Amino acid sequence: MLKIENLNFSYPDGTQALKDVDVDIPPEHTFAILGQSGSGKTTLLNCLARFLTPQKGAIWLNGQNIQTLSGAEFRSKVGVVFQQLNLFPHMSILDNLTLAPRTVQLRDRRDCKASAMGMLERLGIADLANSYPAQISGGQAQRAAIARGLMLQPEYMLLDEPTSALDAKTSDEFADWLRELRDDTSFIVVTHDLRFARRAAKHGIAMRQGRVTCSGTLDELICDIEQ
Amino acid sequence: MREILLHSPTIGPKRTAMQTARICGWTLAMAVLSCTWPALAQKPNGAPGQKRPLTTALTGKFPPFSYYDQNGALAGFDVDVSREIARRLGRRPRIVTIEWDGILAGLLAGKYDAIVGSMAITEERAKQVLFSDPYYESGAQLFVHRDNPDKIYGIAECGGLKVGTVLGETYQHYLDQHHPGIEVTTFKSSVEYFEMLDQKRISGFVTDRLVGAWQVKQANRPFVPVGDMLYRERIAIPVRKEDAKLLKQINRALAQMHRDGTMARIRAKYFGLHATSQEDDSEGFSSGTAFRKLSKGFAVTLGIAAASLTFGFLLAIPCALLLTYRNGIMAPLHTAARTLVDFLRGTPVLIQLFFVWLGLGLPPYRAAVLTLGINAMAYMAEVIRAGLMSVPPGQALAAKALGLNWLQRFRHVIWPQAFRIAVPPLMNSVVALIKDTALVAVISIPEVIREAQSIISITFQPRKYYLIIAVMFFVVTFPLMKMAGLLERRMKQKGYADA
Repeated sequence: MLKIENLNFSYPDGTQALKDVDVDIPPEHTFAILGQSGSGKTTLLNCLARFLTPQKGAIWLNGQNIQTLSGAEFRSKVGVVFQQLNLFPHMSILDNLTLAPRTVQLRDRRDCKASAMGMLERLGIADLANSYPAQISGGQAQRAAIARGLMLQPEYMLLDEPTSALDAKTSDEFADWLRELRDDTSFIVVTHDLRFARRAAKHGIAMRQGRVTCSGTLDELICDIEQ
Repeated sequence: MREILLHSPTIGPKRTAMQTARICGWTLAMAVLSCTWPALAQKPNGAPGQKRPLTTALTGKFPPFSYYDQNGALAGFDVDVSREIARRLGRRPRIVTIEWDGILAGLLAGKYDAIVGSMAITEERAKQVLFSDPYYESGAQLFVHRDNPDKIYGIAECGGLKVGTVLGETYQHYLDQHHPGIEVTTFKSSVEYFEMLDQKRISGFVTDRLVGAWQVKQANRPFVPVGDMLYRERIAIPVRKEDAKLLKQINRALAQMHRDGTMARIRAKYFGLHATSQEDDSEGFSSGTAFRKLSKGFAVTLGIAAASLTFGFLLAIPCALLLTYRNGIMAPLHTAARTLVDFLRGTPVLIQLFFVWLGLGLPPYRAAVLTLGINAMAYMAEVIRAGLMSVPPGQALAAKALGLNWLQRFRHVIWPQAFRIAVPPLMNSVVALIKDTALVAVISIPEVIREAQSIISITFQPRKYYLIIAVMFFVVTFPLMKMAGLLERRMKQKGYADA
């Protein structure tokens, strides 16, 4: 269970991006954080990913303040897939997947390779194993980036605007793929794409001007946003 | 009188690079090599108590006073005089060859005890050093082409015409002062003005009477001396001002040599009636000997280049990091690195070489590797910094999100991408450094261009030997440039460049 409690964050220039944010994110398959640009949703994601440290409030993961966890422990529990994906261009997809298990978890190289191949097969992109990031399509890269994050078997995986580079059809396919993905990991999707959110997630929150304005099912959220 | 061969610093492009590991191994080996070199460096000051060798300096490029014979051994009038003096002082002779323009500075810095290199006594020099009694006299002589198209029969008729001298020789100064109407053209050595006069692009040249006559014969050129000597010069041996005792010993030895006929014998050997065999020897500088000398010189060049590159590359990585990151505690280090790099890039390498060699008193090989190495560091650090900056920040963030620590992020994600971007410009630095190595001749290291100039000073075949050197450099640098191109293409294929 991920619990966000009274979170406040201001940038050095004084802009307050998060104001008293309280959210409980249950470990369900996909949870959406909705909002227009400037609503604070990306700041919230950066706090959840520990790239930013809030001035006030706390984030609790299974009852532990995430700021008190060691780097390695936290990263093994919360993964991130960036809007730009940030696959490593000098490595094949397979090497992208095995880098962290090999260097951080110090797992055996052959073992890493086997589980990476298993992961790629499960995600339907096994044929890309030896391709380089520049050689594959946007939708394939999206899945490869998720596969890379899943290799560490995190409890939560943060997805930042996953559909921003995808066309409508690919975006729909991606949502269906995500929904059907059978995995122990819970996805938290930060997006302004309502169509995608409705297709991929059941619950979520809506944000506006740094505050949570609504929390509930996707239909309730969209209703709120459209008002 | 004097011959100066100053090397032109050539700068070029090029470089290789692939697996860091391979390069590191190669460079480490070279670094070890560079550490052993200094043992070869000459040091005039031995342990106190025992009789030190008498270390003297000359250029080795001023035949018939000093040159390398067909066996590659030092020979010449000055060489014999030097050895004879050492013998009479009961000391072992040790002769150092060095460029003319650094020869006085080296004496003052204590690199050797005396210069037995045909140095003329001048007021200015006498302010810095003590001169022995003259050991021979000569004088300035004007030489012209036998066809004499300008109808010159003495220096008075040279007004408005171009007359060649070697840069830094006393003749240049003399002509400027006493014949301001002459257009004095300076060259790096007699070889160049011989070519110019042969093509009648200058009207004549002024050099030492003895040397000029010897060189004209040696080079088999249609040049003749005209008019009287411009002035006489007394040639003597300078020592440091505090070495008055040594000066006394040298004067005593010279006096003995004049008295007992030794000096006359040495003179006859190089200039007298019996001099022919000697001259034939040097004329017959066999291509085998020349090639051996050049190969040896090129090995020195490549050795210094490799050691400097290794040293420079290993330092360039931390330096580039300091140039890239300037936050928090890194700020003062960043400023220091930035200042150092700007200073190194903003001052001539030649001056840095002299500073390290004379100022810090390092032996020549160590001074060369240190100077060229930190220069390579400065240029490579800038290239690597640009490479580091061109890796998108998201890459480090993504690696952080996967739990990689700083070192792991650098090693697996940032560095491989930065390095690939930096490879082509790094190649340029490597080629530039290989060519810069020619500069180390000024601190008495016998690298290839210095060796070639010493051969050319006897054979007067600059085209042939400079062409050979150009080919030697090209054979080394061309594969490096090819490799850079290949790497670049391979990266493009995989899409590194635009991923």
